[in-house]
Amino acid sequence: MSNNLQDKYVEIVNLVKAYPNPFGEDIRVVDGFDLRIKQGEMIGILGHSGCGKSTVLTMVAGLNAISGGNVIVAGKEIDGAGPDRSVVFQSPCLFPWMTALGNVMLGVKRVYPHASKKERKELAEYYLNQVGLADAMHKYPREMSGGMQQRVGIARAIALKPKMLLLDEPFGRLDSLTRMELQDVIIDILNENKVTTLLVTHDVDEAIYMCDRIVTMTNGPHARVGRINEMPFERPRIRQEVLDHPEYYNIRGSLIQYLEDLEHEKEKQGQEKPPVEEETFNDQDDLPKTPKDKTEKSELVFML
Amino acid sequence: MKYKILKALDIAGLAVLDPIVRLIYREEPSEQVRKIILFIGIPAFTFLCFMVLWAYIAPRHTTKSGEVPTPAVVWDSAKSVWVFHERENIKEDDFRVSGEERQKRIAMVSAELEKLKPQLAKVDALLTKAQEQAKAETDKAVAPIMAVFEETKAKYSADSTARKKALTDLAGTIKADDKSARSEYLKKVEAHLAQTDVEKGNLQQIKAQMDAVMNRKHQGLIEARLAKNRVAEKVQFYSKRLENLGDNNQQQKVLAAKESLDKEKEKFSQASGRALYFSALKIQRAEDRLGRIETSTYAKPWTFPAQIVRSLGCVFLGFVIATVIAVPIGILCGLSPVFMAAMTPLISLFKPVSPIVWLPIVFIIVGGFIDDPEQAPVHPAFLSSAITVALCSLWPTLVNTAFGVAAIDKDHLNVARVLRLGFWSRLFKIVIPSALPLIFAGLRISLGVGWMVLIAAELLSSSEGIGKFVWDMFNNGSSQTFAQMFVVVFVVGIIGLMLDRTMIVFQRLVSFDDAPTAI
Ligand SMILES: Nc1ncnc2c1ncn2[C@@H]1O[C@H](COP(=O)(O)OP(=O)(O)OP(=O)(O)O)[C@@H](O)[C@H]1O
Ligand SMILES: [Mg+2]
Repeated sequence: MSNNLQDKYVEIVNLVKAYPNPFGEDIRVVDGFDLRIKQGEMIGILGHSGCGKSTVLTMVAGLNAISGGNVIVAGKEIDGAGPDRSVVFQSPCLFPWMTALGNVMLGVKRVYPHASKKERKELAEYYLNQVGLADAMHKYPREMSGGMQQRVGIARAIALKPKMLLLDEPFGRLDSLTRMELQDVIIDILNENKVTTLLVTHDVDEAIYMCDRIVTMTNGPHARVGRINEMPFERPRIRQEVLDHPEYYNIRGSLIQYLEDLEHEKEKQGQEKPPVEEETFNDQDDLPKTPKDKTEKSELVFML
Repeated sequence: MKYKILKALDIAGLAVLDPIVRLIYREEPSEQVRKIILFIGIPAFTFLCFMVLWAYIAPRHTTKSGEVPTPAVVWDSAKSVWVFHERENIKEDDFRVSGEERQKRIAMVSAELEKLKPQLAKVDALLTKAQEQAKAETDKAVAPIMAVFEETKAKYSADSTARKKALTDLAGTIKADDKSARSEYLKKVEAHLAQTDVEKGNLQQIKAQMDAVMNRKHQGLIEARLAKNRVAEKVQFYSKRLENLGDNNQQQKVLAAKESLDKEKEKFSQASGRALYFSALKIQRAEDRLGRIETSTYAKPWTFPAQIVRSLGCVFLGFVIATVIAVPIGILCGLSPVFMAAMTPLISLFKPVSPIVWLPIVFIIVGGFIDDPEQAPVHPAFLSSAITVALCSLWPTLVNTAFGVAAIDKDHLNVARVLRLGFWSRLFKIVIPSALPLIFAGLRISLGVGWMVLIAAELLSSSEGIGKFVWDMFNNGSSQTFAQMFVVVFVVGIIGLMLDRTMIVFQRLVSFDDAPTAI
């Protein structure tokens, strides 16, 4: 692989997403998102709630139609969703009628169609082992805690041997202890074999700890890349070392400052959103969250 | 052990028994007793109240088919339905039995008949006595009324003749231009007719008194009749058995037919000329006859238990047809909005149609395919009932399946997209499993609907089954059959309940989220 391709392993060029508003006019929620990602790099995406982070991620995943621009992965423009870009969402979305092993096997079967059943099982077991679920392979999702379910979700994503791993607030619903454990699980896996990763998060510390570069998006509509920060920490990462790093608090402060500035700008523009910094930044944790859109259920049925 | 039992009860849908098991294992006895009272005691009490109310009200309403039966009468008639079934089975068995066993049975049945003879004589005598006594009582009670009746009748008739004579006499005296006398006369005739009506009424009253006395029930007579019937029924049963074990017995008939065939063959071997021809013909006929006898079956009347089994078979067939149609169409509806839009008018149009309308149509169509109902592998009435059941019961499954498939979690579909699953593996690995609980909920409703529809369909199509039984009982119109209709109510209810329970168990087995199902 040429050096050039390694540096531009993933190219997101002038990405646009437009949704029609109630009056039928197209509103460009994301407008001109541009980013180049090196192979094996881990990118964090920060931004205020509703700015369009998930929109960008689902477009890269191929789950959301692209209104304009391109996404090129390993030199090829993407065409719909595929196992080369595996996704982990905030909710684990495991299939409740399958065991942990069954859920992972489904993906393994897809990626290794010619392997024997035994080989596939061994592979699935290997990945479940990696996320620390050696003892819970035969449990059903209903018998597992949220953290365990998310581990299965991670194992399922990794087992696809993806070119790219897309994580949309994967720890958003977990308590802070479990969240730290899972962060380390992912860090460990990525230390072993590097996968190009896009991590959408609300948690500034999480982004700093896990990512090589952090992309902060401007507020929507017309959200785009606002600023990119390079993280100076070495890999493999060790949490305490990162926390003790002299630059840590500077970077954190600067990121938060930038987010606050974005918010003020919005206020100046007279946007409808109320200021939210108070509750946002007094803790080390999260930006405010909007409840995740409920999945739309089909209305069809009510025709009957 | 305890938890195994509890788990088994839970899966079998018998969670009602849960507190009893826990009580046996001494777990929080007071709590368990409270639960037993709530979930077993109170329902049992309500049922008891219902029975008492029924037993009180029923005899106070008399119909053409006699009194409305009380629980005790219904219970008795349920038993008699069962006895009838068992006896028919025995008779059929007798028809087939052969050899030593047959001899043994003949001896046994004959002995039984011998024993019954004096009993029959006794109840006969008792009946005659009761009849005489009843007649004497009636005559005694009727005689004075009769005397009064005759007397009054004679008096009235004399009176009437006298009045008539007076009127005709008077008519002769009225002059041509005497208007007032004429109108007076008219009034008198009117009075005469009115008097005659009154007398007729009085006579009728006396007659009604007499009828009441004659129709009075004689407890002794009723009992004597019942006793006689019981014995006579038994005698009839054993006589019929003797017949089926004797001349009517299949094996006996086969032996006789074989014997005559052998004789014919013997003759054939010696015959010549024209006689040879006739002998050959005879051999052919004898062989035919033997074949017919060998394959003949006992002409057993349908008994209620047999009809229940057939009804269950019919509802099962209908249910299978409904499932095979409804589930695939439901899945297509759920998957494709276009297909759903296409199907909606048909579904909305046919869903509310009653089985009473479907059945005749289906009956005619099915009849078009089957020429000879008796030769067909399935009886057309049976098939049309099953199809009617299917037509009426497929809708809940269809709608639920469509709903279940359409309501599939979007995240799950996204995962399928990421995995690039093909149509079939998406269907079988994701769509169907996730819709399965709703599909089964639909199937459960369908089975309930089907069971209700079935009885009506059988009643209408005269397909042997519970519905036909009800119809026959209705047409029979005696108090005995009236009670048997009540038996049907309970049988249908209990079977319906068990079908529903079974479906709940299946529903629980496929529901992955372990959601509690409504009872
Ligand atoms: N199907 C849709 N139709 C119309 N507008 C949509 C649709 N989906 C998302 N949007 C809008 O697009 C914008 C971006 O949504 P998105 O979910 O990407 O935000 P986000 O940055 O992920 O927010 P959060 O941090 O709360 O998850 C929002 O303003 C939302 O209202
Ligand atoms: Mg989001």
